[in-house]
Amino acid sequence: MAYSKLCITLLTVVIFMLAANPDVAVANEATDELQRQIDSLVRRIEELEKRAGQSLNVPPAMAATGAASAGNGALQIGLSGLFAGGGSSVDNDALSRLQGGAHDPNQNGFVVQNVELSIGATVDPYFDAKAHLIFQIDSDGETVVELEEAFFTTRSLPGGLQIKGGQYFTEFGRQNKRHPHSWSFVDQPVVLSRFFGGDGLRGQGARLSWLTPTDWYSELIVGLQNAKGETMTSFLNAPGEEIGGHTLLDRDARRFGDLLYTARWLNGFDLSDTISMNLGVSGLWGPNASGDNTDTRIVGTDWYMKWLPARTQRGFPFVSWHTEVLWRQYEAGDLGIADRETLRDWGMFTQALWGFKPGWVAGLRWEYATADGDTATDPLRDTRKRLSPNLTWYPTEYSKLRLQYSRDWTEHLVDGSADTLWLQVEFGIGSHAAHVF
Amino acid sequence: MIRLHNILPALFLLTFSATGHAALRVVTTTQDLAALAETVGGEYVKVQSLTPGTSDPHFAVAKPSMIRKVFRADLLLVIGADMEIGWLPPLLQAARNIRVQPGNPGHLDLSGAVPILGKLSGSVSRALGDVHAKGNPHYWLDPRNGVHMARAIAARLGKLDPEHAAEYERRFRAFEQTLNDKLLVWQATLSHLKGKPVVAYHTSFIYLADAFGFRIVDEVEPKPGIAPSAASLSALLARITADRIGFLIMEPYYERRSARYLNEHTGIHVAVLPQSVGARKGIDSYFDLFDAIVIELLNTEEN
Repeated sequence: MAYSKLCITLLTVVIFMLAANPDVAVANEATDELQRQIDSLVRRIEELEKRAGQSLNVPPAMAATGAASAGNGALQIGLSGLFAGGGSSVDNDALSRLQGGAHDPNQNGFVVQNVELSIGATVDPYFDAKAHLIFQIDSDGETVVELEEAFFTTRSLPGGLQIKGGQYFTEFGRQNKRHPHSWSFVDQPVVLSRFFGGDGLRGQGARLSWLTPTDWYSELIVGLQNAKGETMTSFLNAPGEEIGGHTLLDRDARRFGDLLYTARWLNGFDLSDTISMNLGVSGLWGPNASGDNTDTRIVGTDWYMKWLPARTQRGFPFVSWHTEVLWRQYEAGDLGIADRETLRDWGMFTQALWGFKPGWVAGLRWEYATADGDTATDPLRDTRKRLSPNLTWYPTEYSKLRLQYSRDWTEHLVDGSADTLWLQVEFGIGSHAAHVF
Repeated sequence: MIRLHNILPALFLLTFSATGHAALRVVTTTQDLAALAETVGGEYVKVQSLTPGTSDPHFAVAKPSMIRKVFRADLLLVIGADMEIGWLPPLLQAARNIRVQPGNPGHLDLSGAVPILGKLSGSVSRALGDVHAKGNPHYWLDPRNGVHMARAIAARLGKLDPEHAAEYERRFRAFEQTLNDKLLVWQATLSHLKGKPVVAYHTSFIYLADAFGFRIVDEVEPKPGIAPSAASLSALLARITADRIGFLIMEPYYERRSARYLNEHTGIHVAVLPQSVGARKGIDSYFDLFDAIVIELLNTEEN
């Protein structure tokens, strides 16, 4: 398809632009440079879009109209790019252990966090479909492409039912299924990196959701997913990986009990005309690869409140507060094995955002994660605290600039703490990316 | 002693009377649409608006309670022309109500019922700001469009609820009559504005200008949706002075600093106009909206 070719060209342009400037190193000095690069990128993208429209023999006006305002029936294509630059008081090795998310900025200098191509459309009266492809550049400069999500959702089941199937982010809590460009901070919460790995909890499967006939908004979701693979960190993660000193085996799904069972119950209330609230509980049950008969259980609770006054401009001002707490119980090693133990971890994050004037948001996040036992040298299980204030400016709905400072207090580091500063830039082109809630 | 055959007729009666009064559930994206639906639907409809008239409908925030409303709706009325594109598509998917999906009788896009102004041809780039290729979606601000909208709503209500179709038609006729009478009064009251140049904050008043004959020559926003800068304001200031522009009109939800600055330096009259039903207390109907706009424009002139 011509559009995917265009996107690969775009990606090449992005790589080229960043590679062409190796001598820019520190974020503070590079702010202007980065902005200029982005500006010139956006110009190039617009040129490319025009050229792509012409080579397809589509009148430019039509091509542009489709891109700017695809309706419900049309194919929606969008590309978002997320870039960061910055540095830390620790070296790249230590930094990559601190920034556990695969889309987190995780090295001193520049990082292409996430370039995401999203395609979605209504299939027919019965199905909607969506796919998200991720392009990334790893720390060795290699380009990585992954099929992050590709799923269908039913449109017309009766009784408030809806089925989703394919490869998708598990509906656990509020944060897990969010894509990096809609995060409120430059990196993912520590506890999610620990329990769900760098890419978030996702996999192949199907789930059933039911909008219950209650007076308030109440949705029940139950699902089954393959428990195997890198995106199933707490379950059948890749063989050879370690957790708490236990090396993971190659374990296959042989029975129903070897799949991942997922459940979520989400409730929403309007406390007043200006304050709304969501309360959710989620649970996961599945096998883990530390033994042949070992299981993992994860439960979590999430709450979200938002204040939005009666009179707003571009959705501002607002105040929101989002908190999640997660607990994990991990049976490590089969019965009868000497070092069999149950690993117990928990963690939380709580973050507040204040949109104080149109386009401007100040944020503050506090995180805590810990585990039972002697875990002080284990970067994935030690006791860790992190405080991250940030400031985001949205020039329009399609771009943003974010400055974030993080102070880490973590046991496995020699100094016990680390300071990090990131500047993040995002652009979104193509179909109007509707805001999630 | 209560016997089944004694209470059965009563039960039947109860069931029938209940269905007889089951009002059509109409959900609208804005309060303007809700006001029109209430006027035309009367007692046969139960109307809820998803957004309040005090907020900018481009940037509504989809709340979970909205999912419930859309889930239970028999008819969904939308402004269309991409006005709700930022929040309605995911809401429609989450609400899983096939009746109100686009293309079904329970989905009515009113932008198809009115002549849309400001349609763009040629290359539409976001470098131009928040422009709508499908045209300017603020069409409810022309009272003549109110008639088109009410007619379309009455026709659709009649299709979904044929039993009361005649009643919807009758109520629409009454609305049309009153509106046409009032329009003459509004136009006469504002006749002094005919042909006058006016500055608007956002590109949202072109329909109002069309209805009352004034000309919108510039906007405070340098591009739609882009906040004014010091440079853009001083350029506008020079233009206001040079062209002797007497009026600046804006919605209540925009910042007032720019308008105050222009007023202090040029003496331009600033009229903060309610842009929707519900934008202020006391604006409960479509008629109230234009009464309030006309009074606001008149008061601004006198001050």
